[in-house]
Amino acid sequence: MEKMVVKSNDIVRNVYILDGRSGCCSDDPLLPSAGVPLAGGGFPQSIVVERDAKVEIVVLIMPGVSCDLKMDVTLAGEGAEANIYGAYVCGGEEKVKISVDMHHNLPHCNSRQLFKGIAGGKSRVDFYGKIIVAQDAQRTEAYQENHNILLSDGAKVDTKPQLEIYADDVKCSHGATIGRLNEEEQFYMRSRGISLEDAKVLQMISFIAPVLENIHDEAEREKVSADFEAQIRNIIHNN
Amino acid sequence: MSKDKEILDNITEKEYEHGFVTNVEQEFIPKGLNEDIIRLISAKKDEPEWMLEFRLDAFRKWQKMSVPTWAHLDIPEIDFQDIIYYAAPKRNEDRPKEIDPELEKTFDKLGIPLHERKALAGVAVDAVFDSVSVTTTFRSALAEKGIIFCSFSEAVREHPDLVRKYLASVVPVGDNFYAAMNSAVFSDGSFVYIPKGVRCPMELSSYFRINASGTGQFERTLIVADEGSYVSYMEGCTAPMRDENQLHAAVVEIIVEKDAEVKYSTVQNWYPGDAEGKGGIFNFVTKRGICKGSGSHLSWTQVETGSAITWKYPSTILKGDNSSSEFYSVAVTNNFQQADTGTKMIHVGRNTRSRIVSKGISAGRSQNSYRGLVKMLPGADNARNFSQCDSLLIGDRCGAHTFPYIENANKTAVVEHEATTSKISEDQLFYCNQRGIGPEEAVGLIVNGYAREVLSKLPMEFAVEAQKLLQVSLEGSVG
Repeated sequence: MEKMVVKSNDIVRNVYILDGRSGCCSDDPLLPSAGVPLAGGGFPQSIVVERDAKVEIVVLIMPGVSCDLKMDVTLAGEGAEANIYGAYVCGGEEKVKISVDMHHNLPHCNSRQLFKGIAGGKSRVDFYGKIIVAQDAQRTEAYQENHNILLSDGAKVDTKPQLEIYADDVKCSHGATIGRLNEEEQFYMRSRGISLEDAKVLQMISFIAPVLENIHDEAEREKVSADFEAQIRNIIHNN
Repeated sequence: MSKDKEILDNITEKEYEHGFVTNVEQEFIPKGLNEDIIRLISAKKDEPEWMLEFRLDAFRKWQKMSVPTWAHLDIPEIDFQDIIYYAAPKRNEDRPKEIDPELEKTFDKLGIPLHERKALAGVAVDAVFDSVSVTTTFRSALAEKGIIFCSFSEAVREHPDLVRKYLASVVPVGDNFYAAMNSAVFSDGSFVYIPKGVRCPMELSSYFRINASGTGQFERTLIVADEGSYVSYMEGCTAPMRDENQLHAAVVEIIVEKDAEVKYSTVQNWYPGDAEGKGGIFNFVTKRGICKGSGSHLSWTQVETGSAITWKYPSTILKGDNSSSEFYSVAVTNNFQQADTGTKMIHVGRNTRSRIVSKGISAGRSQNSYRGLVKMLPGADNARNFSQCDSLLIGDRCGAHTFPYIENANKTAVVEHEATTSKISEDQLFYCNQRGIGPEEAVGLIVNGYAREVLSKLPMEFAVEAQKLLQVSLEGSVG
């Protein structure tokens, strides 16, 4: 199991792209896969963040990739911070499974999780995310969001966001939605001469944009966005 | 700060006021659960053969099942052979129409009027004492409209067709461990039938009381609202203070036909155990309704303040197109109480809508969990759900947890869920204090404001009681 320890006062920012090409992940459904980060090294299943350290992870799951991602993050020092961002786009028969355990063991730690995804075709998405705040972890701020768009009747999304909180002086919240593309937005764009297909592409790109924004390298971000756009266009054709 | 704490401690330490025991002569059957016991219960109630068969079938299923362990609860092992499954106040054979004065006093003490003339105008009551229904008020006024409101045993005798048609149609016999057990040994409860197009003119209410020691209560409620009818039903419960844990495993089934509406409200105030966590009721309840016809509506409102352990998920199956359901809940836990409660909304039909508002408040060393499922089946076109689950923590030794399960298999269905966990902020308290509102009052004010959205859904008679309960349950818990 790949393990990452972020030492005191360090800042780590990694982007992991699971695109099935880099040999980093299996196309077999529900097999554990390890992505190759841009920064080198495998996808960390266990992350420990020490005092005043910060970790920022972006995981991108490209169409055609099935995976079973497990992450266990422990905020093990006061003032530690973890931000996990993820996006997934499925258009065929992918099975994407993501589970994140976020342990707040000590006071004054912050965490934020944002996972956004699109499910079309006959794909199956399972999201599980838990925030566990220990009794002594006062002054915790922990947020988690999981938003999904269903494109087809064959696709299915299950989400289980969970909060387990044993301290009282905390601010914790989670939000989860599973919905569809907004038709009024589509109408707005079509009435201004944008084709339905283009409108959908724009909607979907802007839907996952809040995740992509966290890729700090501009060139990389643009390349990834372009990749997603091309793939999304493909999916719209087939759905 | 320490003064605040003191006030809070005082509030939270307020004792359970319904903890008395009534001295009424009772008959018991032997401890334990086996086929002979079930035959005995059935014989005591003069039941027809089909009812006995139903019980035995349930018992055989139950024997093959095991205790559910998935909830976020720490349940001590229960010896199901060490429970008395049937206890009834002995009847005064000479005057069977009269209520035993001791019993009447008990219900009076609890504020439940059994005499119609004294009764709150507009509430019909079915009172259940341990295993039997003691009396049901306003029978004749309701019968004029064709409404049936009686004890379950009576319904089995007098309306067997209706009972056979609907019994176990929403909660199948083998649904879960406690539902199977209830199906085998249930003793009494209420039966409600509202005929087509009738709007029930008054609130119907059941009141459950556990009195005898060493027993459990296993009541069964069946509510059927026929096409275009309306009924509002309320349920309340209390039990004496004892060091032992007593088991309460009820089943409630609700059938809502086309365009009918059922409003089901509960104020659950079983004895929660003492400040050390000793004693209290184990409340393991299966409640489920089905919106069977198109345009039907079912609304659940619950205020949960009692019980040592609560395991309860009032659910709705939205089968009819355009049907809708709501779940409003306030769950308060204090001292060593544990609650794992929530709802299930299963969307089957098109354009079905559901809304969940859950407010958890935990204090002392208690654990309070929300657990809920929202499921959109492939046929649930344009279905819509919104869930809001908030938790309030009072004190640093308690826990508040949220476990929603959201499943969507329809591209036009939309599900939204949000949850927050926080404590009463010092800013809010300071704001109140600064304006001359004492810390204790301020906490009451904030908690009531926090729960208002749910409390406002309760029928008037209950809303007053619930607000008082909330205040009492939490007095002194802000530190």
